[in-house]
Amino acid sequence: MEGDQDTSDFTLVTRKPCFGLPTACPNCLPAYIYLKLAQLPFQLAFNSTFPDSEELPYFESGTYVAYNNEDGGVIEKLKKDGIVNLDSQLQSLPDYLSLKALIVSWLDEALTYEIWVGTEGVCASKIYYSDLPWVIGKVLFYKQTYLTKNRLGLTKENAEQREKLIYKRASEAYEALSTRLGEQKFLFEDRPSSLDAFFLSHMLFTIQVLPETSVLRRKLLEHSNLVRYAERLKSEFLEESSSSPSPPLHSFPSSFSGKGSKPKNKPKAEKSEEEKKIKKRARFFLAAQFLAVVIYVSVMGGGSSDEVEYEDDD
Amino acid sequence: MANPADKPDPNLTTRDEGEVREEELEDIEEEEDDYEGEDDNDEATASKPQTREDAAASRANAQNLFRRMGVAPVPVRVHDVIVKGNEKTKDHVIEAEVEGVRQATTLQELLEAANVANFNLRALDIFDSVKITLDAGPPELPDTTNVVVKVVESQSPLAAEIVTSTKSQARSSTLEGSLKYKNIFGHGDIWDSSLAYGCDNSGEVGLGLYLPRLRGRPTPFTSRLYLSTQDWLKFSSYRERALGVSLGVLLSKNHELGYTLAWRNLIDPTQMASRTIRRQIGHSLVSDLKYTFKVDERNSSLRPTRGYSFVSTSQIGGLVPDSRTLRFLRQEIDLKYAVPLGFYRSALNFGVSGGITFPWGSGYKSRGSSVSERFFLGGNISPVCSLGGPSALWGFKTRGLGPNEPRREVEDDKSGDTYERDFVGGDVAVTAFADLSFDFPLRWFRERGIHGHVFACAGNIAELSGNKYRNFTAPKFLETFRSTVGAGIVLPTSLFRMELNYCHIVKKQEHDRAKSGFFMTFSTPSS
Repeated sequence: MEGDQDTSDFTLVTRKPCFGLPTACPNCLPAYIYLKLAQLPFQLAFNSTFPDSEELPYFESGTYVAYNNEDGGVIEKLKKDGIVNLDSQLQSLPDYLSLKALIVSWLDEALTYEIWVGTEGVCASKIYYSDLPWVIGKVLFYKQTYLTKNRLGLTKENAEQREKLIYKRASEAYEALSTRLGEQKFLFEDRPSSLDAFFLSHMLFTIQVLPETSVLRRKLLEHSNLVRYAERLKSEFLEESSSSPSPPLHSFPSSFSGKGSKPKNKPKAEKSEEEKKIKKRARFFLAAQFLAVVIYVSVMGGGSSDEVEYEDDD
Repeated sequence: MANPADKPDPNLTTRDEGEVREEELEDIEEEEDDYEGEDDNDEATASKPQTREDAAASRANAQNLFRRMGVAPVPVRVHDVIVKGNEKTKDHVIEAEVEGVRQATTLQELLEAANVANFNLRALDIFDSVKITLDAGPPELPDTTNVVVKVVESQSPLAAEIVTSTKSQARSSTLEGSLKYKNIFGHGDIWDSSLAYGCDNSGEVGLGLYLPRLRGRPTPFTSRLYLSTQDWLKFSSYRERALGVSLGVLLSKNHELGYTLAWRNLIDPTQMASRTIRRQIGHSLVSDLKYTFKVDERNSSLRPTRGYSFVSTSQIGGLVPDSRTLRFLRQEIDLKYAVPLGFYRSALNFGVSGGITFPWGSGYKSRGSSVSERFFLGGNISPVCSLGGPSALWGFKTRGLGPNEPRREVEDDKSGDTYERDFVGGDVAVTAFADLSFDFPLRWFRERGIHGHVFACAGNIAELSGNKYRNFTAPKFLETFRSTVGAGIVLPTSLFRMELNYCHIVKKQEHDRAKSGFFMTFSTPSS
């Protein structure tokens, strides 16, 4: 009859996994990555029935709970409550705030736009509403789409201009971050920070979840050092925990589409096509070689017999 | 003041049979000579005998008839049922309620059937008055009679009312105000819009439709579109909102079938919920079928002194192809028995209630049941009056016992860390009670129905779902039973039954919200 009071039981409650990510929700993924970067052991639990909640993700340990809609977010609350703080001594750096503003405002806005408007909510339906009954899912989807457009300030008159502005800012943010990062392992010195969690979350979501036709995705892939950065951190901190290892981010850029299962299937399809090409070429080569031999034999065999007849006449 | 606890039986006359016969006889006297039909506008004028000799002859005939009725059945056949006065109401609606008179073969049976038909028509609640009279049949057909049903339709189709009841879902007394629009389409249909408020901070606004018959069958049909809120923040740290439609069909007197389709949302605006409640927060779609078998042979639902009642409710949720709807099974049983003891109108009431719920579908063993479908015990309802499943237990506060968990830890500026507990309910619950009620010697109390009672009750609740059935054992369940004894005064009013009791908690568990002392309950007739 008593409740659980195991204070060493850290649990992060997020929305469900999808697209090869441990949690497909772009609001929940930063918290997950943050705890992974901090190498804090924790369990993952899912809530798939409350897509319009601002409380998710939340972190709990016994009777302690850190909700995402308190104290600036779950990461900030974990820092403030002393659970895990990767940003100690970094917050005073001048770049810290400006990069944070870049990631959590411009890039976040661009990602929100791309999920709900740019890709017409195809990904959003799968992430947020696939576990809800159809009627409820549809109503909540339309409601959230409407609220998001309001939040982004989109109207019929300014839709095109807003879109251009959002993508332009995203491009500039990628450019700035690419310059800032260079070939470093982390954004700041040689240690992970919450900004790495936010940025890595943005990158993984953009590359693995958004479809190939996504403008944002295309702009991100132009910066190869950012892609290498994401792949490095993913393989080092996240790979061991993911149940289905996903292919490298830069190897098959054309293979990432809206669904997480496709990256596994597409390399197999391409391999078989290449094999077919090679086999076809090999057949042509063999056929050409055979023809050459036949021609050589037939031509050279006719010449020698004539010479023999000429010698017999003397 | 008549005792409001007495429940009228619609199938029996409330007066002496002799008085009924005399009144019916007067009707027969008035109509006996009227072979050509009566005057629709002025019944009294048309039935007035023309001469004194005719009146004397009619009276003599009637007395002869009455004597014959007292000796042996008087054969009679109903030739025709004539309906008058209905301008809006369809004939078939009225004829369906008086159908029973056609089967009568004797005058005695006919009078009884007419009485029942009269009650049925009044129960439709769409007429201001109903009068059934027996007219002589055609002269060429002896021993026949025409049954004339004269109704006066409600002048004002709008009606407002305020009632108190105990809704089984809310599990508490509810005050409901409704506005009804009657008989719009002439099928006896009653449309209503209502606002209800419960003692457990629940509220509901709804639109309903009641049909006395469905597709010609004698099965009343109800449908309701509702938006309800139940606030359990104080006890379990969640608030439940539901938008849904419910349909109900009364298959017969004892059998009722209902279907509910609702969008349910559990939220925790305080963000203080315990772990189990946190996992339950979110949206769900409920599609459930409910069958209720109910027999209530007690002489009163507010002060039963004789009879028994039995209610069995079976529910199955998730009967749609979509596996994402809430899937659960739920069964409740309630049995009560009252034995009169013969002095000071005393009676011994026994009762036992039980219920069980469990999810079904893939992963049903490890999946926790929905908190909305679980059982909770305690509250301000008397177990004597509550009908349908375990819910009430004297001495324990609302949701005051059973599985509980600590709430979220919050720092209190005044006294350091403080946190309370959430009662999360159980999947199996059992309650039992015994109650001895008796009148006080003083006449003043007896006249007002105020009486006393002593009682004892016990109950327990446990979790089974979410793999917790592995920890459940019958000995442990019996060992952790809670129990209470007490005595009190019962004050019945026209709207509800109030008890002022002193309860002594004999046994409780840690964290139960109960303590010995004075306790009030408010109970209304169960719906």
